[in-house]
Amino acid sequence: MTPEETRLLIDHLDETLTGTRNAGLDRLLEEDPEAAQEWQYLGLAVEAVKAEGLHAQVASVRAAWKAEDAGLRIAAVPETVPPAKATVHRLYKKYGLRAAACVLIVASSAFLYKYLSVSSQSLYDRYYSTYELNTSRGAGDERPVVKAYDAKDWSAVLSIAGSAKNKDNQAEFLSGIADLQLKKYDDAISHFEQIIAVNTIGGTDYYQDEAEYYLAISWLAMHKVNEAMPILEKIRSDAHHQYHEKVAKMSFFDLRLAQFKENK
Amino acid sequence: MKAEEKYTDAELIAAISAGKDLNTAIRSIYRQHSEAVSSFVIHYGGSEQDADDIFQETVVAFIDIVKKGKYRMEASIRTFLASIARNYWFNELKKRGRSGHRDRQFEMGRDQDEADVSHHIAELERKRQLRELVEQLGESCRKVLLLFYYENLSMKEIVNHLPYENEQVVRNKKYKCLQQLTDLIKANPAIARQMQETLK
Repeated sequence: MTPEETRLLIDHLDETLTGTRNAGLDRLLEEDPEAAQEWQYLGLAVEAVKAEGLHAQVASVRAAWKAEDAGLRIAAVPETVPPAKATVHRLYKKYGLRAAACVLIVASSAFLYKYLSVSSQSLYDRYYSTYELNTSRGAGDERPVVKAYDAKDWSAVLSIAGSAKNKDNQAEFLSGIADLQLKKYDDAISHFEQIIAVNTIGGTDYYQDEAEYYLAISWLAMHKVNEAMPILEKIRSDAHHQYHEKVAKMSFFDLRLAQFKENK
Repeated sequence: MKAEEKYTDAELIAAISAGKDLNTAIRSIYRQHSEAVSSFVIHYGGSEQDADDIFQETVVAFIDIVKKGKYRMEASIRTFLASIARNYWFNELKKRGRSGHRDRQFEMGRDQDEADVSHHIAELERKRQLRELVEQLGESCRKVLLLFYYENLSMKEIVNHLPYENEQVVRNKKYKCLQQLTDLIKANPAIARQMQETLK
Protein backbone atom coordinates (compact mmCIF):
# COMPACT_ATOMS: atom_id res chain seq x y z
CA MET A 1 0.00 0.00 0.00
CA THR A 2 1.32 3.45 -0.86
CA PRO A 3 0.86 6.25 1.69
CA GLU A 4 -1.60 7.86 -0.73
CA GLU A 5 -3.70 4.68 -0.90
CA THR A 6 -3.69 4.43 2.88
CA ARG A 7 -4.85 8.04 3.10
CA LEU A 8 -7.67 7.27 0.73
CA LEU A 9 -8.66 4.29 2.84
CA ILE A 10 -8.72 6.54 5.92
CA ASP A 11 -10.91 9.06 4.06
CA HIS A 12 -13.17 6.18 3.04
CA LEU A 13 -13.32 5.04 6.67
CA ASP A 14 -14.18 8.59 7.77
CA GLU A 15 -16.85 8.73 5.05
CA THR A 16 -15.42 11.93 3.61
CA LEU A 17 -15.19 10.67 0.02
CA THR A 18 -17.98 10.96 -2.49
CA GLY A 19 -19.36 9.16 -5.53
CA THR A 20 -16.99 7.35 -7.84
CA ARG A 21 -14.02 7.44 -5.43
CA ASN A 22 -16.06 5.48 -2.92
CA ALA A 23 -17.05 2.91 -5.53
CA GLY A 24 -13.41 2.61 -6.65
CA LEU A 25 -12.24 1.95 -3.13
CA ASP A 26 -14.98 -0.61 -2.54
CA ARG A 27 -13.69 -2.45 -5.62
CA LEU A 28 -10.10 -2.18 -4.40
CA LEU A 29 -11.10 -3.69 -1.05
CA GLU A 30 -12.81 -6.59 -2.77
CA GLU A 31 -9.97 -7.32 -5.16
CA ASP A 32 -6.80 -6.48 -3.23
CA PRO A 33 -6.13 -8.63 -0.11
CA GLU A 34 -3.44 -6.22 1.06
CA ALA A 35 -5.86 -3.31 0.95
CA ALA A 36 -8.50 -5.42 2.70
CA GLN A 37 -6.05 -6.22 5.48
CA GLU A 38 -5.04 -2.57 5.87
CA TRP A 39 -8.72 -1.68 6.02
CA GLN A 40 -9.21 -4.16 8.86
CA TYR A 41 -6.27 -2.71 10.78
CA LEU A 42 -7.56 0.83 10.33
CA GLY A 43 -10.97 -0.28 11.60
CA LEU A 44 -9.28 -1.85 14.60
CA ALA A 45 -7.39 1.39 15.28
CA VAL A 46 -10.62 3.37 15.29
CA GLU A 47 -12.19 0.76 17.57
CA ALA A 48 -9.21 1.16 19.91
CA VAL A 49 -9.68 4.93 20.03
CA LYS A 50 -13.38 4.57 20.77
CA ALA A 51 -12.62 2.05 23.54
CA GLU A 52 -10.09 4.47 25.03
CA GLY A 53 -12.60 7.32 24.83
CA LEU A 54 -15.33 5.37 26.59
CA HIS A 55 -12.90 4.18 29.24
CA ALA A 56 -11.70 7.73 29.89
CA GLN A 57 -15.27 9.00 30.11
CA VAL A 58 -16.31 6.33 32.62
CA ALA A 59 -13.13 6.97 34.64
CA SER A 60 -13.93 10.66 34.77
CA VAL A 61 -17.51 10.09 35.95
CA ARG A 62 -16.23 7.53 38.45
CA ALA A 63 -13.85 10.11 39.94
CA ALA A 64 -16.61 12.69 40.18
CA TRP A 65 -19.01 10.19 41.69
CA LYS A 66 -16.44 9.08 44.28
CA ALA A 67 -15.88 12.71 45.26
CA GLU A 68 -19.61 13.27 45.53
CA ASP A 69 -20.07 10.07 47.51
CA ALA A 70 -17.25 11.00 49.90
CA GLY A 71 -18.78 14.45 50.36
CA LEU A 72 -22.18 12.99 51.17
CA ARG A 73 -20.64 10.62 53.70
CA ILE A 74 -18.90 13.54 55.43
CA ALA A 75 -22.16 15.44 55.56
CA ALA A 76 -24.32 12.52 56.66
CA VAL A 77 -22.31 10.84 59.40
CA PRO A 78 -22.42 12.61 62.78
CA GLU A 79 -19.75 11.99 65.39
CA THR A 80 -20.34 9.00 67.65
CA VAL A 81 -22.10 9.86 70.89
CA PRO A 82 -20.68 7.86 73.87
CA PRO A 83 -23.16 5.56 75.62
CA ALA A 84 -24.97 7.26 78.49
CA LYS A 85 -25.26 5.92 82.00
CA ALA A 86 -28.69 4.62 82.98
CA THR A 87 -29.45 7.44 85.44
CA VAL A 88 -29.05 10.16 82.91
CA HIS A 89 -29.86 8.07 79.88
CA ARG A 90 -32.97 10.04 78.89
CA LEU A 91 -31.23 13.36 79.39
CA TYR A 92 -28.25 12.22 77.38
CA LYS A 93 -30.52 10.87 74.68
CA LYS A 94 -32.34 14.18 74.46
CA TYR A 95 -29.17 16.27 74.33
CA GLY A 96 -27.32 13.60 72.37
CA LEU A 97 -29.88 13.82 69.62
CA ARG A 98 -29.65 17.60 69.68
CA ALA A 99 -25.86 17.38 69.54
CA ALA A 100 -26.07 14.90 66.69
CA ALA A 101 -28.48 17.20 64.90
CA CYS A 102 -26.09 20.12 65.48
CA VAL A 103 -23.14 18.09 64.18
CA LEU A 104 -25.20 17.08 61.18
CA ILE A 105 -26.20 20.70 60.53
CA VAL A 106 -22.63 21.91 60.95
CA ALA A 107 -21.26 19.12 58.77
CA SER A 108 -23.95 19.72 56.16
CA SER A 109 -23.31 23.45 56.24
CA ALA A 110 -19.59 22.86 55.95
CA PHE A 111 -20.12 20.59 52.99
CA LEU A 112 -22.60 23.01 51.42
CA TYR A 113 -20.13 25.86 51.90
CA LYS A 114 -17.38 23.73 50.42
CA TYR A 115 -19.61 22.70 47.54
CA LEU A 116 -20.60 26.28 46.77
CA SER A 117 -17.17 27.81 47.24
CA VAL A 118 -15.09 25.29 45.31
CA SER A 119 -14.85 26.04 41.62
CA SER A 120 -12.23 25.68 38.95
CA GLN A 121 -11.64 29.44 39.21
CA SER A 122 -11.10 29.29 42.99
CA LEU A 123 -8.73 26.35 42.46
CA TYR A 124 -6.85 28.28 39.81
CA ASP A 125 -6.52 31.25 42.18
CA ARG A 126 -5.30 28.91 44.90
CA TYR A 127 -2.73 27.01 42.86
CA TYR A 128 -1.46 29.48 40.31
CA SER A 129 1.83 31.17 41.09
CA THR A 130 4.08 33.01 38.68
CA TYR A 131 6.89 30.95 37.27
CA GLU A 132 10.34 32.05 38.41
CA LEU A 133 13.19 31.43 36.01
CA ASN A 134 15.81 29.45 37.89
CA THR A 135 19.43 30.55 38.01
CA SER A 136 20.78 27.98 35.59
CA ARG A 137 18.33 29.14 32.98
CA GLY A 138 18.07 32.80 33.90
CA ALA A 139 21.35 34.08 35.27
CA GLY A 140 23.47 35.90 32.75
CA ASP A 141 21.09 35.03 29.98
CA GLU A 142 21.12 37.85 27.51
CA ARG A 143 18.16 36.67 25.49
CA PRO A 144 15.72 39.55 25.04
CA VAL A 145 12.73 37.34 25.82
CA VAL A 146 14.29 36.32 29.14
CA LYS A 147 15.13 39.93 29.97
CA ALA A 148 11.55 40.97 29.23
CA TYR A 149 10.27 38.10 31.36
CA ASP A 150 12.53 39.03 34.27
CA ALA A 151 11.23 42.60 33.97
CA LYS A 152 7.66 41.19 34.07
CA ASP A 153 6.93 42.99 30.81
CA TRP A 154 4.40 40.43 29.59
CA SER A 155 3.47 42.22 26.38
CA ALA A 156 7.14 42.47 25.45
CA VAL A 157 7.62 38.76 26.13
CA LEU A 158 4.81 37.95 23.70
CA SER A 159 6.01 40.42 21.13
CA ILE A 160 9.65 39.24 21.20
CA ALA A 161 8.76 35.54 21.23
CA GLY A 162 6.12 36.05 18.55
CA SER A 163 8.54 37.73 16.17
CA ALA A 164 11.30 35.14 16.64
CA LYS A 165 11.98 33.09 13.53
CA ASN A 166 12.62 29.84 15.39
CA LYS A 167 10.72 29.85 18.62
CA ASP A 168 12.20 27.29 21.04
CA ASN A 169 10.46 25.72 24.02
CA GLN A 170 11.74 28.35 26.43
CA ALA A 171 10.28 31.21 24.41
CA GLU A 172 7.10 29.19 23.95
CA PHE A 173 6.85 28.54 27.67
CA LEU A 174 7.54 32.14 28.72
CA SER A 175 4.88 33.23 26.23
CA GLY A 176 2.46 30.83 27.91
CA ILE A 177 3.16 32.30 31.34
CA ALA A 178 2.88 35.83 29.94
CA ASP A 179 -0.53 34.91 28.51
CA LEU A 180 -1.58 33.53 31.90
CA GLN A 181 -0.55 36.82 33.51
CA LEU A 182 -2.62 38.68 30.94
CA LYS A 183 -5.53 36.25 31.52
CA LYS A 184 -5.35 35.05 27.89
CA TYR A 185 -5.87 31.46 28.95
CA ASP A 186 -6.70 30.06 25.51
CA ASP A 187 -3.43 31.37 24.13
CA ALA A 188 -1.53 30.05 27.14
CA ILE A 189 -2.95 26.56 26.53
CA SER A 190 -1.81 26.71 22.90
CA HIS A 191 1.75 27.52 23.96
CA PHE A 192 1.94 24.74 26.56
CA GLU A 193 0.40 22.17 24.22
CA GLN A 194 2.81 23.21 21.51
CA ILE A 195 5.75 22.43 23.83
CA ILE A 196 4.33 19.02 24.63
CA ALA A 197 3.71 18.34 20.94
CA VAL A 198 7.24 19.40 20.00
CA ASN A 199 8.73 17.20 22.72
CA THR A 200 6.55 14.27 21.69
CA ILE A 201 7.60 14.50 18.08
CA GLY A 202 11.27 15.20 18.80
CA GLY A 203 11.64 12.83 21.77
CA THR A 204 12.88 15.73 23.91
CA ASP A 205 11.75 16.99 27.30
CA TYR A 206 12.82 20.63 27.35
CA TYR A 207 10.31 22.52 29.55
CA GLN A 208 8.07 19.43 29.45
CA ASP A 209 7.32 19.27 33.19
CA GLU A 210 6.70 23.01 33.39
CA ALA A 211 4.40 22.90 30.36
CA GLU A 212 2.39 20.00 31.78
CA TYR A 213 1.85 21.67 35.15
CA TYR A 214 0.93 25.08 33.75
CA LEU A 215 -1.27 23.45 31.10
CA ALA A 216 -3.32 21.86 33.89
CA ILE A 217 -3.46 25.20 35.72
CA SER A 218 -4.60 26.92 32.51
CA TRP A 219 -7.41 24.38 32.06
CA LEU A 220 -8.56 25.22 35.58
CA ALA A 221 -8.63 28.89 34.60
CA MET A 222 -10.78 27.90 31.61
CA HIS A 223 -13.22 26.08 33.96
CA LYS A 224 -12.30 22.75 32.38
CA VAL A 225 -11.42 20.52 35.31
CA ASN A 226 -12.02 17.45 33.15
CA GLU A 227 -9.04 18.47 31.04
CA ALA A 228 -6.87 19.36 34.04
CA MET A 229 -7.49 16.22 36.09
CA PRO A 230 -5.71 13.61 33.94
CA ILE A 231 -2.62 15.83 33.79
CA LEU A 232 -2.62 16.48 37.53
CA GLU A 233 -3.15 12.78 38.27
CA LYS A 234 -0.27 11.91 35.96
CA ILE A 235 1.99 14.38 37.76
CA ARG A 236 0.87 13.13 41.17
CA SER A 237 1.67 9.54 40.23
CA ASP A 238 5.12 10.44 38.87
CA ALA A 239 7.51 10.92 41.80
CA HIS A 240 10.20 12.20 39.43
CA HIS A 241 8.07 14.95 37.97
CA GLN A 242 9.38 18.41 38.78
CA TYR A 243 5.95 19.46 40.06
CA HIS A 244 5.13 16.22 41.85
CA GLU A 245 5.39 17.66 45.37
CA LYS A 246 3.36 20.71 44.48
CA VAL A 247 0.58 18.61 42.96
CA ALA A 248 0.71 16.06 45.79
CA LYS A 249 -0.18 18.88 48.18
CA MET A 250 -3.25 19.86 46.17
CA SER A 251 -6.68 18.94 47.47
CA PHE A 252 -7.91 16.29 45.05
CA PHE A 253 -11.17 16.22 46.95
CA ASP A 254 -11.74 19.86 45.98
CA LEU A 255 -10.63 19.18 42.42
CA ARG A 256 -13.04 16.28 42.09
CA LEU A 257 -15.80 18.33 43.63
CA ALA A 258 -15.20 21.04 41.04
CA GLN A 259 -15.10 18.34 38.37
CA PHE A 260 -18.42 16.97 39.59
CA LYS A 261 -19.96 20.45 39.45
CA GLU A 262 -18.60 20.94 35.97
CA ASN A 263 -20.07 17.64 34.77
CA LYS A 264 -23.52 18.32 36.19
CA MET B 1 -31.31 15.11 31.19
CA LYS B 2 -32.86 13.27 34.12
CA ALA B 3 -32.35 15.49 37.13
CA GLU B 4 -32.52 12.87 39.86
CA GLU B 5 -30.28 10.45 37.92
CA LYS B 6 -32.43 7.44 38.75
CA TYR B 7 -33.38 5.39 35.79
CA THR B 8 -35.47 2.30 35.32
CA ASP B 9 -33.64 -0.44 33.42
CA ALA B 10 -35.49 0.42 30.23
CA GLU B 11 -34.76 4.15 30.57
CA LEU B 12 -31.09 3.46 31.17
CA ILE B 13 -30.81 1.25 28.09
CA ALA B 14 -32.61 3.89 26.03
CA ALA B 15 -30.30 6.65 27.29
CA ILE B 16 -27.13 4.68 26.55
CA SER B 17 -28.39 3.56 23.15
CA ALA B 18 -29.24 7.14 22.20
CA GLY B 19 -25.77 8.22 23.34
CA LYS B 20 -27.11 11.47 24.74
CA ASP B 21 -26.04 12.70 28.14
CA LEU B 22 -23.96 9.59 28.72
CA ASN B 23 -22.33 11.10 31.81
CA THR B 24 -25.68 11.18 33.61
CA ALA B 25 -26.40 7.59 32.63
CA ILE B 26 -22.97 6.45 33.87
CA ARG B 27 -23.44 8.32 37.14
CA SER B 28 -26.81 6.64 37.52
CA ILE B 29 -25.22 3.20 37.06
CA TYR B 30 -22.70 4.05 39.78
CA ARG B 31 -25.36 5.38 42.14
CA GLN B 32 -27.79 2.51 41.66
CA HIS B 33 -25.54 -0.50 41.24
CA SER B 34 -21.93 0.01 42.27
CA GLU B 35 -22.31 -0.96 45.91
CA ALA B 36 -24.21 -4.18 45.29
CA VAL B 37 -22.01 -5.27 42.42
CA SER B 38 -18.72 -4.36 44.11
CA SER B 39 -19.66 -6.40 47.15
CA PHE B 40 -19.28 -9.56 45.03
CA VAL B 41 -15.67 -8.71 44.36
CA ILE B 42 -14.96 -7.93 47.98
CA HIS B 43 -16.72 -11.13 49.04
CA TYR B 44 -14.40 -13.11 46.79
CA GLY B 45 -11.20 -11.68 48.20
CA GLY B 46 -10.86 -8.36 46.37
CA SER B 47 -9.91 -5.09 48.02
CA GLU B 48 -12.06 -1.97 47.75
CA GLN B 49 -9.69 -0.71 45.07
CA ASP B 50 -10.09 -3.98 43.16
CA ALA B 51 -13.86 -3.64 43.46
CA ASP B 52 -13.71 -0.06 42.17
CA ASP B 53 -11.51 -1.03 39.23
CA ILE B 54 -13.56 -4.08 38.34
CA PHE B 55 -16.78 -2.07 38.49
CA GLN B 56 -15.31 0.56 36.19
CA GLU B 57 -14.36 -2.12 33.64
CA THR B 58 -17.81 -3.63 34.08
CA VAL B 59 -19.52 -0.32 33.30
CA VAL B 60 -17.33 0.15 30.22
CA ALA B 61 -18.19 -3.35 29.00
CA PHE B 62 -21.88 -2.88 29.74
CA ILE B 63 -22.10 0.40 27.81
CA ASP B 64 -20.23 -1.15 24.90
CA ILE B 65 -22.61 -4.11 24.85
CA VAL B 66 -25.68 -1.86 24.99
CA LYS B 67 -24.36 0.49 22.31
CA LYS B 68 -23.86 -2.46 20.00
CA GLY B 69 -27.45 -3.57 20.67
CA LYS B 70 -26.29 -6.84 22.19
CA TYR B 71 -28.00 -6.45 25.56
CA ARG B 72 -31.14 -8.55 25.40
CA MET B 73 -32.81 -7.50 28.68
CA GLU B 74 -33.37 -11.12 29.68
CA ALA B 75 -31.92 -10.34 33.10
CA SER B 76 -32.08 -7.12 35.11
CA ILE B 77 -29.24 -4.68 34.63
CA ARG B 78 -27.99 -5.37 38.15
CA THR B 79 -27.83 -9.13 37.49
CA PHE B 80 -26.09 -8.55 34.20
CA LEU B 81 -23.56 -6.16 35.73
CA ALA B 82 -22.92 -8.61 38.55
CA SER B 83 -22.32 -11.38 36.03
CA ILE B 84 -19.81 -9.31 34.10
CA ALA B 85 -18.07 -8.19 37.29
CA ARG B 86 -17.82 -11.71 38.67
CA ASN B 87 -16.46 -13.14 35.43
CA TYR B 88 -14.01 -10.31 35.08
CA TRP B 89 -12.84 -10.72 38.66
CA PHE B 90 -12.42 -14.46 38.15
CA ASN B 91 -10.23 -13.80 35.13
CA GLU B 92 -8.26 -11.27 37.14
CA LEU B 93 -7.68 -13.82 39.90
CA LYS B 94 -6.47 -16.33 37.33
CA LYS B 95 -4.07 -13.71 35.96
CA ARG B 96 -2.77 -13.09 39.45
CA GLY B 97 -2.25 -16.82 39.89
CA ARG B 98 -4.68 -17.12 42.77
CA SER B 99 -6.76 -20.06 41.55
CA GLY B 100 -7.19 -21.50 45.01
CA HIS B 101 -10.06 -22.85 47.01
CA ARG B 102 -11.90 -19.53 47.05
CA ASP B 103 -11.88 -19.39 43.27
CA ARG B 104 -13.09 -22.97 42.90
CA GLN B 105 -15.88 -22.01 45.25
CA PHE B 106 -16.58 -19.05 43.01
CA GLU B 107 -16.60 -21.23 39.89
CA MET B 108 -19.15 -23.54 41.49
CA GLY B 109 -21.28 -20.52 42.35
CA ARG B 110 -21.50 -19.35 38.76
CA ASP B 111 -24.87 -19.75 37.18
CA GLN B 112 -26.00 -20.00 33.60
CA ASP B 113 -26.41 -16.23 33.15
CA GLU B 114 -22.80 -15.73 34.09
CA ALA B 115 -21.58 -18.33 31.64
CA ASP B 116 -23.47 -16.39 28.97
CA VAL B 117 -21.46 -13.24 29.55
CA SER B 118 -18.08 -14.98 29.38
CA HIS B 119 -17.70 -14.18 25.68
CA HIS B 120 -18.16 -10.51 26.54
CA ILE B 121 -15.25 -10.84 28.94
CA ALA B 122 -12.97 -12.04 26.15
CA GLU B 123 -14.06 -8.98 24.18
CA LEU B 124 -13.31 -6.78 27.19
CA GLU B 125 -9.79 -8.18 27.38
CA ARG B 126 -9.25 -7.53 23.67
CA LYS B 127 -10.43 -3.93 24.13
CA ARG B 128 -8.05 -3.52 27.06
CA GLN B 129 -5.13 -4.59 24.86
CA LEU B 130 -6.20 -2.10 22.21
CA ARG B 131 -6.54 0.68 24.80
CA GLU B 132 -3.02 0.05 25.98
CA LEU B 133 -1.78 0.72 22.45
CA VAL B 134 -3.65 4.04 22.31
CA GLU B 135 -1.97 4.98 25.57
CA GLN B 136 1.40 4.37 23.93
CA LEU B 137 0.72 7.21 21.50
CA GLY B 138 1.85 10.67 22.45
CA GLU B 139 -0.67 12.88 24.20
CA SER B 140 -1.17 15.08 21.14
CA CYS B 141 -1.97 12.06 18.92
CA ARG B 142 -4.25 10.55 21.51
CA LYS B 143 -6.12 13.83 21.81
CA VAL B 144 -6.59 14.38 18.07
CA LEU B 145 -7.88 10.84 17.57
CA LEU B 146 -10.21 11.00 20.58
CA LEU B 147 -11.66 14.34 19.52
CA PHE B 148 -12.31 13.07 16.01
CA TYR B 149 -13.37 9.46 16.51
CA TYR B 150 -14.87 9.51 20.02
CA GLU B 151 -16.14 13.07 20.48
CA ASN B 152 -17.08 13.21 16.77
CA LEU B 153 -15.78 16.77 16.45
CA SER B 154 -15.18 18.24 13.01
CA MET B 155 -11.72 19.35 11.90
CA LYS B 156 -12.84 22.94 12.38
CA GLU B 157 -13.89 22.27 15.96
CA ILE B 158 -10.64 20.44 16.69
CA VAL B 159 -8.64 23.49 15.55
CA ASN B 160 -10.35 25.38 18.40
CA HIS B 161 -9.29 22.75 20.93
CA LEU B 162 -5.70 22.13 19.93
CA PRO B 163 -2.73 24.30 19.04
CA TYR B 164 -2.78 23.70 15.30
CA GLU B 165 -2.89 26.41 12.72
CA ASN B 166 -5.67 25.18 10.49
CA GLU B 167 -7.86 22.25 9.52
CA GLN B 168 -5.33 20.86 7.04
CA VAL B 169 -2.66 20.64 9.74
CA VAL B 170 -5.11 18.75 11.97
CA ARG B 171 -6.08 16.48 9.09
CA ASN B 172 -2.42 15.62 8.41
CA LYS B 173 -1.83 15.05 12.10
CA LYS B 174 -4.80 12.71 12.30
CA TYR B 175 -3.59 10.69 9.29
CA LYS B 176 -0.17 10.28 10.86
CA CYS B 177 -1.58 9.40 14.28
CA LEU B 178 -3.99 6.80 12.91
CA GLN B 179 -1.19 5.23 10.88
CA GLN B 180 1.04 5.26 13.96
CA LEU B 181 -1.66 3.45 15.92
CA THR B 182 -2.19 0.97 13.08
CA ASP B 183 1.55 0.24 13.11
CA LEU B 184 1.41 -0.39 16.87
CA ILE B 185 -1.48 -2.81 16.34
CA LYS B 186 0.39 -4.64 13.57
CA ALA B 187 3.42 -4.92 15.82
CA ASN B 188 1.39 -6.45 18.65
CA PRO B 189 1.67 -10.23 18.22
CA ALA B 190 -1.52 -11.14 20.10
CA ILE B 191 -3.72 -8.73 18.20
CA ALA B 192 -2.06 -9.43 14.86
CA ARG B 193 -2.70 -13.17 15.43
CA GLN B 194 -6.37 -12.53 16.22
CA MET B 195 -6.59 -10.43 13.08
CA GLN B 196 -5.03 -13.14 10.90
CA GLU B 197 -7.52 -15.66 12.27
CA THR B 198 -10.38 -13.29 11.51
CA LEU B 199 -9.18 -12.86 7.94
CA LYS B 200 -8.83 -16.60 7.30
